[in-house]
Amino acid sequence: MKLRGIVFKILALSLINGTSLWASLTLFSLGNYGPIVILLLTTLALDYIYLSKRTKASKWLIPGTILLIIFQIYPVLYTAVTAFTNYSTGHSVTRDEAIKGLIEQNTNQIEGGAQYQFKVIEEGSRRALLLTNTSDGTFAIGDEKSLAPIDSGEIPLGWKEISQENLRESDYQGWLTNLRIPIKDSRIIKVETFETAAEYKYVLRYDSGREVMVDIDSGEVLKEQDGAFYYIDGTEMEPGWRIWVGFQNFTDVVTNERIRGPFFRVLIWTFAYAILSVLTTFILGLLLATTLNTPRIRGQRVLRSILIIPYAIPGFLSILIWAGLLNDDFGMLNRALGTSIPWLFDAEWAKVSTLLVNLWLGFPYMFLITTGALQSIPSELAEAAEVDGATPRQAFTKIKLPLLLVTIAPLLIGSFAYNFNNFGGIYLLTGGGPAMNDSDTAGATDILISYTYKLAFASGQGAQYGLATAVSIIIFFIVASVSALSFRRTRALENLN
Amino acid sequence: MSTTYKIRKRYRHKVWWRYPIAAAALIFATMPLVWVIGAAFGPAGLTTQSVIPRTFALDNFRALFSDENVPFVTWYKNSLIICSSAAIMQVAIATFAAYAFSRFRFKGRRISLVGLLVLQMFPQLLSLVAIYLLMYRVSLIFPAIGTGSALGLILVYLGGAMGYNTYLLKGFFDSIPKEIDEAAKVDGATAGQTFRQIILPLAVPMLAVVMLLSFIGLLNDFILASLFLQTKEDYTLALGLQAFVSGQYEQQWGPFAAGALLTAIPVIVLFQFLQRYIVEGLSAGSVKG
Repeated sequence: MKLRGIVFKILALSLINGTSLWASLTLFSLGNYGPIVILLLTTLALDYIYLSKRTKASKWLIPGTILLIIFQIYPVLYTAVTAFTNYSTGHSVTRDEAIKGLIEQNTNQIEGGAQYQFKVIEEGSRRALLLTNTSDGTFAIGDEKSLAPIDSGEIPLGWKEISQENLRESDYQGWLTNLRIPIKDSRIIKVETFETAAEYKYVLRYDSGREVMVDIDSGEVLKEQDGAFYYIDGTEMEPGWRIWVGFQNFTDVVTNERIRGPFFRVLIWTFAYAILSVLTTFILGLLLATTLNTPRIRGQRVLRSILIIPYAIPGFLSILIWAGLLNDDFGMLNRALGTSIPWLFDAEWAKVSTLLVNLWLGFPYMFLITTGALQSIPSELAEAAEVDGATPRQAFTKIKLPLLLVTIAPLLIGSFAYNFNNFGGIYLLTGGGPAMNDSDTAGATDILISYTYKLAFASGQGAQYGLATAVSIIIFFIVASVSALSFRRTRALENLN
Repeated sequence: MSTTYKIRKRYRHKVWWRYPIAAAALIFATMPLVWVIGAAFGPAGLTTQSVIPRTFALDNFRALFSDENVPFVTWYKNSLIICSSAAIMQVAIATFAAYAFSRFRFKGRRISLVGLLVLQMFPQLLSLVAIYLLMYRVSLIFPAIGTGSALGLILVYLGGAMGYNTYLLKGFFDSIPKEIDEAAKVDGATAGQTFRQIILPLAVPMLAVVMLLSFIGLLNDFILASLFLQTKEDYTLALGLQAFVSGQYEQQWGPFAAGALLTAIPVIVLFQFLQRYIVEGLSAGSVKG
């Protein structure tokens, strides 16, 4: 037993150390030094914790803690940082990367310049082009660093040619597309097809002394603004880079007219959706709980088992099923009612649909918790009230309901917080749609979290990570403060009783 | 005397109105399901389905399994593998942590417990963009654990393991008398042995329920999965079925309903078995506290 434990520990630690070493070497070869430090420190900490006799609790806590730090704490911090940048499509790299990209991507073919045919040759990990100048018949070998003339078109000793088929592999394709063989000054050779290349020249040059971008032909110094270079005529050069924008993403939400309208529409609907979801499910759940919570009803157990079926079905499935039932042409609901209501394709009806579906999904939960809470209220209380002459209605509203609210208030707040971010309930049913005129991103039923998702991953204007993370943070503050406020209120309520 | 009589009399005519409400609720709760069953066993195509199912055919199941563009079995398998492995590991991690919080007294214990609670205010859903950007960058260097890989998705799921479940299980461990541990310790058992041979056997039913709830929670995940799994063969049921029906309900409604039934029934059955435990867990926070 003991021996087996030690063997297992040694094997597991060796595996972890080996993997971490391998990963460090991979990172080192890519020049990615920051993560190596973190990786090695983490591995050392793991070794210490599991080999030392002095650590007790840490042995049990460390696996979860490491995962928590990487996938929960770090993302929270990174979200907070990104919200203050302009991170988006077109502004996704650093300034240096953007400069390199701008120089390499902006090239013009030189009129009357040389044309080449080439073969890709390889020696070990070195790659090069064996070039044949089609106009004068001379030969040369070129790679990222230099172009060297050679006497014959024979493949040099030790090198081997890569076949045309293999060139289609993404690895070679990527290399060929990015290959710039320097000739002299700003002139380069650039690949045009899998067999031909031609002479090009760079449009832009970076003056590292003055830290400015210069147009080589005209000598114009480009203007640098908001993380991008501009010509004086206003032409923006893509890509730009990430810069700090301070609170701009947050102020945009209030001041930028393109964002303000849709944002506040979404914000109001998010509150309406969350509050109405809690209210409707709670009222129906409470109604059913009070109706069925009496021994005088027959078949109570069966009834209960059937009533919680909607809760037992995986939520995503229920929503997809409802999306089918609500189909305006073919859906069963319209057919059963004999109507042709555009459940999902009219802005107002779509909102009704999301609430209806959420009611179906959520009432069993409320039914279960209110039943539980009602049963925990001593029946003597209500009976005493009735003896004192209270009507059943009074006994319910004055005695049972307040007690019930006290016990389940935290769960109602939890339900509000859940529905405030109920991505599936919206996105799987309507996709946030139908589309609205004021925005190409936010649809009629979008709530903040689905709006965030669309801003980052499915917007008509590319990924807007900076704005999306800013909205995430706004969501956090709303949910956190609503929770904090209501918890204080409920505690006050408890003290009253 | 007269009061009791009055109460009893009042109750008698109070009962009848409960039945219509119960009946309406039953219809509301089950109608969608009846329609799905009808569609699944009905003839192919949405346009011919009747409000009350009358036919029984297996065409839709056949269509679902024979359609090469819809690798339903693969999705089912992916969901089972990803969600069950993540659920098992999530519960394992949460159990270890809960055991430590329940049985050890160490520096930073209180602060860690409070910190965990505070962190729950910022669910992974809100740091979605950051998780994506992190894992996208990882995928460029280590494709096996970045975006595009199920393993990466599982890792991200595990990041959320030390949360609510840890609290739930800590509460449970706290309810097991400490004297049992101490007796074992006197007999020379290590912390690991006490955990394995004494605490764990007692916790099995609880762990089963927590695992099932985690599993269902993961099965429901659409948003994280959509960022990680990008090809049809890698999809989970949530991604696959969504892609399957979006936009073409007319043609796909029948086979979709068949797939939905095959997905829902095992979960409903499990749920009915564990109903008692689940309901207890649900109300534990409110009623007992």
